[in-house]
Amino acid sequence: MPLSNLKPLPIVLAAAVALGVAATMLSLRGEPGFDAVRLGPWSSWPRLGNSEIDPYARAVSAVEGALPLGGGEGLAFVAQVDETGSPLDARCDYQISGTAPPARFWTLTAYDAAGRLRTNIAERYGLTSAALLHSADGAFSITAAREARPGNWLPLGEKSRFILVLRAYQANTSALASAFEGLTLPTITRGLCS
Amino acid sequence: MSSREILLRKSFPGRVFALIPWVLGLLFGAVAVHLILILTLPALAPGSAYRQFARPLPLGEKRVLARAEPSMSRPSFSDPFAAVALCRFDLRQGPLRLRASADGDRPLSVSVRLADGTVIYSASDRQTPGGRFNIVIVTQAQADAQDAARERAEDDSGEAAKSAEDELRLISPGKTGFAVVRTLALRESDYEKAAARLDAVACSLETTP
Repeated sequence: MPLSNLKPLPIVLAAAVALGVAATMLSLRGEPGFDAVRLGPWSSWPRLGNSEIDPYARAVSAVEGALPLGGGEGLAFVAQVDETGSPLDARCDYQISGTAPPARFWTLTAYDAAGRLRTNIAERYGLTSAALLHSADGAFSITAAREARPGNWLPLGEKSRFILVLRAYQANTSALASAFEGLTLPTITRGLCS
Repeated sequence: MSSREILLRKSFPGRVFALIPWVLGLLFGAVAVHLILILTLPALAPGSAYRQFARPLPLGEKRVLARAEPSMSRPSFSDPFAAVALCRFDLRQGPLRLRASADGDRPLSVSVRLADGTVIYSASDRQTPGGRFNIVIVTQAQADAQDAARERAEDDSGEAAKSAEDELRLISPGKTGFAVVRTLALRESDYEKAAARLDAVACSLETTP
Protein backbone atom coordinates (compact mmCIF):
# COMPACT_ATOMS: atom_id res chain seq x y z
CA MET A 1 0.00 0.00 0.00
CA PRO A 2 1.45 3.38 -0.92
CA LEU A 3 2.29 5.55 2.10
CA SER A 4 0.08 8.33 0.76
CA ASN A 5 -2.93 6.05 1.36
CA LEU A 6 -2.14 6.03 5.12
CA LYS A 7 -2.41 9.78 5.46
CA PRO A 8 -5.67 9.64 7.50
CA LEU A 9 -4.15 7.17 10.03
CA PRO A 10 -2.99 9.72 12.66
CA ILE A 11 -6.37 11.47 12.53
CA VAL A 12 -8.28 8.18 12.86
CA LEU A 13 -6.07 7.07 15.77
CA ALA A 14 -6.53 10.38 17.59
CA ALA A 15 -10.28 10.26 16.99
CA ALA A 16 -10.46 6.66 18.28
CA VAL A 17 -8.61 7.60 21.49
CA ALA A 18 -10.81 10.68 21.99
CA LEU A 19 -13.98 8.69 21.38
CA GLY A 20 -12.84 5.89 23.72
CA VAL A 21 -11.96 8.34 26.51
CA ALA A 22 -15.27 10.19 26.08
CA ALA A 23 -17.25 6.93 26.21
CA THR A 24 -15.36 5.92 29.37
CA MET A 25 -16.00 9.25 31.10
CA LEU A 26 -19.67 9.00 30.20
CA SER A 27 -19.97 5.45 31.54
CA LEU A 28 -18.26 6.41 34.82
CA ARG A 29 -20.86 9.09 35.45
CA GLY A 30 -23.64 6.55 35.46
CA GLU A 31 -24.80 4.13 38.12
CA PRO A 32 -22.26 1.76 39.67
CA GLY A 33 -23.18 -1.41 37.83
CA PHE A 34 -25.94 -3.00 35.78
CA ASP A 35 -27.61 -5.09 38.45
CA ALA A 36 -29.49 -2.44 40.43
CA VAL A 37 -32.25 -3.54 42.78
CA ARG A 38 -35.02 -0.89 42.84
CA LEU A 39 -37.30 -0.50 45.83
CA GLY A 40 -39.38 2.67 45.45
CA PRO A 41 -36.94 5.61 45.37
CA TRP A 42 -34.13 3.41 46.73
CA SER A 43 -31.54 1.60 44.63
CA SER A 44 -28.90 -0.88 45.67
CA TRP A 45 -26.10 -2.69 43.84
CA PRO A 46 -25.52 -5.91 45.81
CA ARG A 47 -22.69 -7.14 43.59
CA LEU A 48 -20.56 -4.12 44.54
CA GLY A 49 -19.81 -6.05 47.71
CA ASN A 50 -18.79 -9.42 46.32
CA SER A 51 -16.50 -11.05 43.80
CA GLU A 52 -19.20 -11.00 41.08
CA ILE A 53 -18.77 -7.23 40.67
CA ASP A 54 -18.78 -6.22 37.00
CA PRO A 55 -15.86 -4.27 35.45
CA TYR A 56 -17.88 -1.05 35.14
CA ALA A 57 -18.91 -1.12 38.80
CA ARG A 58 -15.30 -1.79 39.79
CA ALA A 59 -14.11 1.19 37.72
CA VAL A 60 -16.79 3.54 39.11
CA SER A 61 -15.99 2.48 42.67
CA ALA A 62 -12.24 3.03 42.14
CA VAL A 63 -12.66 6.44 40.54
CA GLU A 64 -15.07 7.55 43.27
CA GLY A 65 -12.63 6.31 45.93
CA ALA A 66 -15.42 4.49 47.73
CA LEU A 67 -15.19 1.58 50.16
CA PRO A 68 -18.55 -0.13 49.48
CA LEU A 69 -19.91 -2.53 52.08
CA GLY A 70 -19.04 -6.17 51.57
CA GLY A 71 -22.05 -8.45 51.15
CA GLY A 72 -21.42 -10.01 54.57
CA GLU A 73 -21.21 -6.58 56.19
CA GLY A 74 -24.50 -5.19 54.99
CA LEU A 75 -26.21 -3.46 52.15
CA ALA A 76 -26.43 0.22 51.17
CA PHE A 77 -29.53 1.72 49.55
CA VAL A 78 -29.19 5.04 47.73
CA ALA A 79 -31.99 7.54 47.03
CA GLN A 80 -31.57 10.52 44.72
CA VAL A 81 -35.29 11.11 44.24
CA ASP A 82 -38.46 11.13 46.36
CA GLU A 83 -41.55 8.94 46.00
CA THR A 84 -42.74 10.93 42.97
CA GLY A 85 -39.38 10.66 41.20
CA SER A 86 -38.42 14.30 41.77
CA PRO A 87 -34.75 14.94 42.65
CA LEU A 88 -34.10 15.50 46.35
CA ASP A 89 -33.71 19.21 47.07
CA ALA A 90 -32.59 20.61 50.43
CA ARG A 91 -34.85 23.65 49.97
CA CYS A 92 -37.70 21.27 50.82
CA ASP A 93 -38.55 19.21 53.90
CA TYR A 94 -38.86 15.44 53.53
CA GLN A 95 -40.65 12.89 55.68
CA ILE A 96 -38.87 9.54 55.68
CA SER A 97 -41.29 7.07 57.22
CA GLY A 98 -41.66 3.34 57.60
CA THR A 99 -40.55 0.42 59.68
CA ALA A 100 -37.04 -0.74 60.38
CA PRO A 101 -35.33 -2.61 57.54
CA PRO A 102 -34.51 -6.26 58.38
CA ALA A 103 -31.04 -5.59 59.75
CA ARG A 104 -29.22 -5.68 63.06
CA PHE A 105 -28.48 -1.97 62.83
CA TRP A 106 -28.95 0.78 60.25
CA THR A 107 -27.88 4.33 59.60
CA LEU A 108 -29.29 7.10 57.42
CA THR A 109 -26.96 9.77 56.04
CA ALA A 110 -27.17 12.69 53.58
CA TYR A 111 -24.37 13.42 51.06
CA ASP A 112 -23.69 15.81 48.24
CA ALA A 113 -23.30 14.45 44.70
CA ALA A 114 -19.55 13.88 45.20
CA GLY A 115 -20.16 11.69 48.22
CA ARG A 116 -19.16 14.20 50.91
CA LEU A 117 -21.12 14.69 54.10
CA ARG A 118 -23.05 17.96 54.12
CA THR A 119 -21.95 20.85 56.31
CA ASN A 120 -24.79 21.85 58.64
CA ILE A 121 -25.30 24.02 61.69
CA ALA A 122 -25.96 21.07 64.00
CA GLU A 123 -22.73 19.29 62.91
CA ARG A 124 -24.70 16.05 62.81
CA TYR A 125 -24.39 14.00 59.69
CA GLY A 126 -26.80 11.14 60.13
CA LEU A 127 -29.09 9.08 62.30
CA THR A 128 -28.80 5.54 63.63
CA SER A 129 -31.50 2.99 64.38
CA ALA A 130 -30.30 2.80 68.00
CA ALA A 131 -30.83 6.52 68.60
CA LEU A 132 -34.13 6.83 66.75
CA LEU A 133 -37.47 7.72 68.34
CA HIS A 134 -40.09 5.24 67.19
CA SER A 135 -43.57 4.07 68.10
CA ALA A 136 -44.37 0.85 69.96
CA ASP A 137 -44.89 -1.07 66.70
CA GLY A 138 -41.45 -0.06 65.45
CA ALA A 139 -42.66 2.55 62.96
CA PHE A 140 -40.66 5.76 62.73
CA SER A 141 -40.73 9.09 60.98
CA ILE A 142 -37.67 11.21 60.23
CA THR A 143 -37.77 14.81 59.02
CA ALA A 144 -34.92 15.73 56.71
CA ALA A 145 -34.68 19.53 56.63
CA ARG A 146 -32.24 22.44 56.77
CA GLU A 147 -33.73 23.86 59.97
CA ALA A 148 -34.13 21.96 63.25
CA ARG A 149 -37.32 19.92 63.61
CA PRO A 150 -38.78 18.19 66.67
CA GLY A 151 -38.35 14.41 66.90
CA ASN A 152 -36.05 12.61 64.50
CA TRP A 153 -34.28 15.33 62.52
CA LEU A 154 -31.76 14.74 59.75
CA PRO A 155 -29.97 18.07 59.07
CA LEU A 156 -29.51 18.74 55.36
CA GLY A 157 -27.19 21.75 55.14
CA GLU A 158 -27.36 24.49 52.54
CA LYS A 159 -26.51 22.98 49.13
CA SER A 160 -29.71 22.12 47.29
CA ARG A 161 -29.10 18.71 45.67
CA PHE A 162 -28.49 15.83 48.04
CA ILE A 163 -28.41 12.04 48.17
CA LEU A 164 -29.66 9.81 50.97
CA VAL A 165 -27.91 6.55 51.87
CA LEU A 166 -29.56 3.97 54.09
CA ARG A 167 -27.10 1.34 55.28
CA ALA A 168 -28.56 -1.89 56.60
CA TYR A 169 -25.73 -3.53 58.54
CA GLN A 170 -25.83 -7.27 58.87
CA ALA A 171 -28.97 -7.27 56.79
CA ASN A 172 -31.13 -10.37 56.64
CA THR A 173 -31.10 -10.21 52.88
CA SER A 174 -28.73 -11.99 50.55
CA ALA A 175 -27.13 -10.69 47.39
CA LEU A 176 -29.72 -12.55 45.35
CA ALA A 177 -32.17 -10.15 43.78
CA SER A 178 -35.03 -12.54 44.58
CA ALA A 179 -34.39 -12.00 48.29
CA PHE A 180 -35.55 -8.38 47.91
CA GLU A 181 -39.07 -9.35 46.94
CA GLY A 182 -41.40 -8.23 49.68
CA LEU A 183 -38.81 -5.99 51.30
CA THR A 184 -40.18 -2.55 52.10
CA LEU A 185 -37.98 0.44 52.74
CA PRO A 186 -38.99 3.82 54.22
CA THR A 187 -40.94 6.17 51.97
CA ILE A 188 -39.54 9.60 51.12
CA THR A 189 -42.28 12.22 50.88
CA ARG A 190 -41.66 15.85 50.00
CA GLY A 191 -43.17 18.47 52.29
CA LEU A 192 -43.03 22.26 52.15
CA CYS A 193 -40.34 24.00 50.12
CA SER A 194 -38.80 27.38 50.88
CA MET B 1 -22.68 16.11 -19.25
CA SER B 2 -19.08 17.24 -19.03
CA SER B 3 -16.21 14.79 -18.78
CA ARG B 4 -15.45 16.15 -15.26
CA GLU B 5 -18.99 15.32 -13.99
CA ILE B 6 -18.70 11.82 -15.42
CA LEU B 7 -15.44 11.34 -13.57
CA LEU B 8 -16.93 12.53 -10.24
CA ARG B 9 -19.96 10.26 -10.59
CA LYS B 10 -17.79 7.29 -11.32
CA SER B 11 -15.40 7.92 -8.40
CA PHE B 12 -17.97 8.74 -5.69
CA PRO B 13 -18.99 5.14 -4.72
CA GLY B 14 -15.36 4.21 -4.84
CA ARG B 15 -14.42 6.95 -2.41
CA VAL B 16 -17.21 5.95 0.01
CA PHE B 17 -16.09 2.36 -0.20
CA ALA B 18 -12.54 3.46 0.58
CA LEU B 19 -13.77 5.19 3.77
CA ILE B 20 -15.38 2.06 5.23
CA PRO B 21 -12.13 0.51 6.58
CA TRP B 22 -11.23 3.81 8.24
CA VAL B 23 -14.66 4.13 9.89
CA LEU B 24 -14.51 0.52 11.09
CA GLY B 25 -10.98 1.13 12.35
CA LEU B 26 -12.13 4.22 14.22
CA LEU B 27 -14.98 2.34 15.93
CA PHE B 28 -12.81 -0.66 16.74
CA GLY B 29 -10.10 1.63 18.15
CA ALA B 30 -12.60 3.57 20.27
CA VAL B 31 -14.07 0.36 21.71
CA ALA B 32 -10.58 -0.97 22.42
CA VAL B 33 -9.52 2.24 24.20
CA HIS B 34 -12.76 2.22 26.23
CA LEU B 35 -12.35 -1.41 27.33
CA ILE B 36 -8.67 -0.95 28.20
CA LEU B 37 -9.54 2.09 30.34
CA ILE B 38 -12.42 0.34 32.13
CA LEU B 39 -10.26 -2.71 32.90
CA THR B 40 -7.18 -0.78 34.03
CA LEU B 41 -8.82 2.08 35.96
CA PRO B 42 -9.49 0.02 39.14
CA ALA B 43 -5.75 -0.64 39.48
CA LEU B 44 -4.56 2.77 38.26
CA ALA B 45 -7.11 5.32 39.54
CA PRO B 46 -5.10 7.58 41.89
CA GLY B 47 -8.16 8.24 44.06
CA SER B 48 -9.07 4.60 44.68
CA ALA B 49 -9.32 3.50 48.30
CA TYR B 50 -6.39 1.10 47.85
CA ARG B 51 -4.04 3.70 46.38
CA GLN B 52 -5.09 6.43 48.79
CA PHE B 53 -5.08 4.54 52.06
CA ALA B 54 -3.62 1.05 51.77
CA ARG B 55 -0.72 1.19 49.31
CA PRO B 56 1.38 3.66 51.37
CA LEU B 57 0.93 1.46 54.45
CA PRO B 58 3.87 -0.76 55.55
CA LEU B 59 3.06 -4.46 55.55
CA GLY B 60 1.92 -5.72 58.94
CA GLU B 61 0.77 -2.28 60.11
CA LYS B 62 -2.77 -1.05 60.44
CA ARG B 63 -4.15 2.37 59.66
CA VAL B 64 -7.19 3.81 61.40
CA LEU B 65 -9.03 6.22 59.10
CA ALA B 66 -10.15 9.60 60.41
CA ARG B 67 -13.87 9.94 61.13
CA ALA B 68 -15.88 11.01 58.10
CA GLU B 69 -16.70 14.73 58.01
CA PRO B 70 -17.70 17.23 55.30
CA SER B 71 -14.12 18.33 54.55
CA MET B 72 -13.09 14.78 53.65
CA SER B 73 -13.51 13.67 50.06
CA ARG B 74 -12.08 10.15 50.47
CA PRO B 75 -13.29 7.53 50.97
CA SER B 76 -16.40 8.94 49.34
CA PHE B 77 -19.81 8.09 50.82
CA SER B 78 -18.27 7.22 54.21
CA ASP B 79 -20.60 6.42 57.07
CA PRO B 80 -19.93 8.92 59.92
CA PHE B 81 -20.90 6.19 62.41
CA ALA B 82 -18.32 3.71 61.13
CA ALA B 83 -14.79 3.57 62.52
CA VAL B 84 -12.53 1.92 59.96
CA ALA B 85 -9.07 0.34 60.08
CA LEU B 86 -7.08 -1.01 57.12
CA CYS B 87 -4.20 -3.43 56.68
CA ARG B 88 -2.36 -3.98 53.42
CA PHE B 89 -1.24 -7.36 52.15
CA ASP B 90 1.31 -8.28 49.53
CA LEU B 91 1.43 -12.05 49.38
CA ARG B 92 4.71 -11.98 47.46
CA GLN B 93 6.23 -10.92 50.79
CA GLY B 94 4.28 -13.52 52.80
CA PRO B 95 0.78 -14.25 54.13
CA LEU B 96 -1.06 -11.71 56.29
CA ARG B 97 -2.77 -12.59 59.55
CA LEU B 98 -5.59 -10.36 60.77
CA ARG B 99 -7.14 -10.54 64.23
CA ALA B 100 -10.14 -8.52 65.36
CA SER B 101 -12.95 -9.01 67.84
CA ALA B 102 -16.28 -7.36 68.60
CA ASP B 103 -17.24 -6.13 72.05
CA GLY B 104 -20.85 -7.18 72.24
CA ASP B 105 -23.38 -4.56 71.23
CA ARG B 106 -21.40 -2.69 68.62
CA PRO B 107 -21.41 -4.45 65.23
CA LEU B 108 -18.01 -5.25 63.76
CA SER B 109 -17.27 -6.59 60.32
CA VAL B 110 -14.26 -7.55 58.25
CA SER B 111 -13.83 -7.49 54.49
CA VAL B 112 -10.86 -8.50 52.37
CA ARG B 113 -10.39 -6.71 49.05
CA LEU B 114 -7.98 -7.01 46.16
CA ALA B 115 -6.04 -3.96 44.99
CA ASP B 116 -8.65 -3.38 42.28
CA GLY B 117 -11.37 -3.18 44.95
CA THR B 118 -12.96 -6.60 44.42
CA VAL B 119 -14.32 -7.90 47.74
CA ILE B 120 -13.21 -11.53 48.10
CA TYR B 121 -14.47 -12.04 51.66
CA SER B 122 -16.73 -10.23 54.07
CA ALA B 123 -18.42 -11.26 57.30
CA SER B 124 -19.82 -9.79 60.49
CA ASP B 125 -19.08 -10.65 64.10
CA ARG B 126 -22.36 -12.61 64.30
CA GLN B 127 -20.97 -15.07 61.74
CA THR B 128 -17.79 -15.95 63.62
CA PRO B 129 -17.26 -17.87 66.88
CA GLY B 130 -17.39 -15.43 69.80
CA GLY B 131 -17.37 -12.47 67.42
CA ARG B 132 -13.63 -13.03 66.84
CA PHE B 133 -11.82 -12.95 63.53
CA ASN B 134 -8.55 -14.78 62.98
CA ILE B 135 -7.94 -14.70 59.24
CA VAL B 136 -4.81 -15.67 57.40
CA ILE B 137 -4.68 -14.52 53.79
CA VAL B 138 -2.54 -16.72 51.53
CA THR B 139 -1.93 -17.68 47.93
CA GLN B 140 -2.74 -21.22 46.75
CA ALA B 141 1.01 -22.02 46.74
CA GLN B 142 1.39 -20.78 50.33
CA ALA B 143 -1.65 -22.83 51.40
CA ASP B 144 -0.11 -25.92 49.77
CA ALA B 145 3.20 -25.23 51.56
CA GLN B 146 1.37 -24.88 54.90
CA ASP B 147 -0.46 -28.17 54.32
CA ALA B 148 2.76 -29.95 53.41
CA ALA B 149 4.48 -28.57 56.53
CA ARG B 150 1.59 -29.79 58.71
CA GLU B 151 1.73 -33.23 57.14
CA ARG B 152 5.46 -33.40 57.82
CA ALA B 153 4.87 -32.33 61.44
CA GLU B 154 2.23 -35.07 61.79
CA ASP B 155 4.60 -37.67 60.40
CA ASP B 156 7.35 -36.58 62.77
CA SER B 157 5.22 -36.43 65.91
CA GLY B 158 2.64 -39.10 65.10
CA GLU B 159 -0.13 -36.67 66.15
CA ALA B 160 -2.42 -34.58 64.03
CA ALA B 161 -1.05 -31.04 63.72
CA LYS B 162 -3.78 -28.52 64.38
CA SER B 163 -4.19 -25.00 63.26
CA ALA B 164 -5.97 -22.61 65.61
CA GLU B 165 -9.61 -23.66 65.90
CA ASP B 166 -10.96 -20.25 65.00
CA GLU B 167 -8.53 -19.69 62.11
CA LEU B 168 -9.99 -18.97 58.70
CA ARG B 169 -7.56 -19.47 55.85
CA LEU B 170 -8.48 -17.33 52.90
CA ILE B 171 -6.90 -18.17 49.55
CA SER B 172 -6.62 -14.94 47.61
CA PRO B 173 -6.88 -14.92 43.81
CA GLY B 174 -4.66 -11.80 43.75
CA LYS B 175 -1.26 -11.01 45.27
CA THR B 176 -2.00 -7.53 46.60
CA GLY B 177 -4.93 -5.99 48.42
CA PHE B 178 -6.15 -4.88 51.81
CA ALA B 179 -8.35 -5.92 54.70
CA VAL B 180 -10.91 -3.55 56.18
CA VAL B 181 -12.24 -3.74 59.75
CA ARG B 182 -15.36 -1.70 60.38
CA THR B 183 -16.94 -1.14 63.77
CA LEU B 184 -20.04 0.95 64.33
CA ALA B 185 -21.04 3.62 66.81
CA LEU B 186 -24.59 3.05 67.95
CA ARG B 187 -25.08 6.75 68.66
CA GLU B 188 -23.37 10.05 67.90
CA SER B 189 -21.70 10.09 71.32
CA ASP B 190 -20.55 6.49 70.96
CA TYR B 191 -17.97 6.98 68.23
CA GLU B 192 -14.86 7.21 70.42
CA LYS B 193 -15.72 3.94 72.16
CA ALA B 194 -16.34 2.24 68.83
CA ALA B 195 -13.05 3.55 67.44
CA ALA B 196 -11.23 2.32 70.57
CA ARG B 197 -12.24 -1.21 69.56
CA LEU B 198 -9.90 -0.86 66.61
CA ASP B 199 -6.95 -0.77 69.04
CA ALA B 200 -7.38 -4.52 69.38
CA VAL B 201 -7.11 -5.08 65.62
CA ALA B 202 -3.77 -6.68 64.80
CA CYS B 203 -2.17 -7.36 61.42
CA SER B 204 1.03 -9.32 61.07
CA LEU B 205 3.18 -10.65 58.26
CA GLU B 206 3.48 -14.45 58.48
CA THR B 207 6.34 -16.56 57.25
CA THR B 208 5.77 -19.27 54.69
CA PRO B 209 6.96 -22.72 55.80
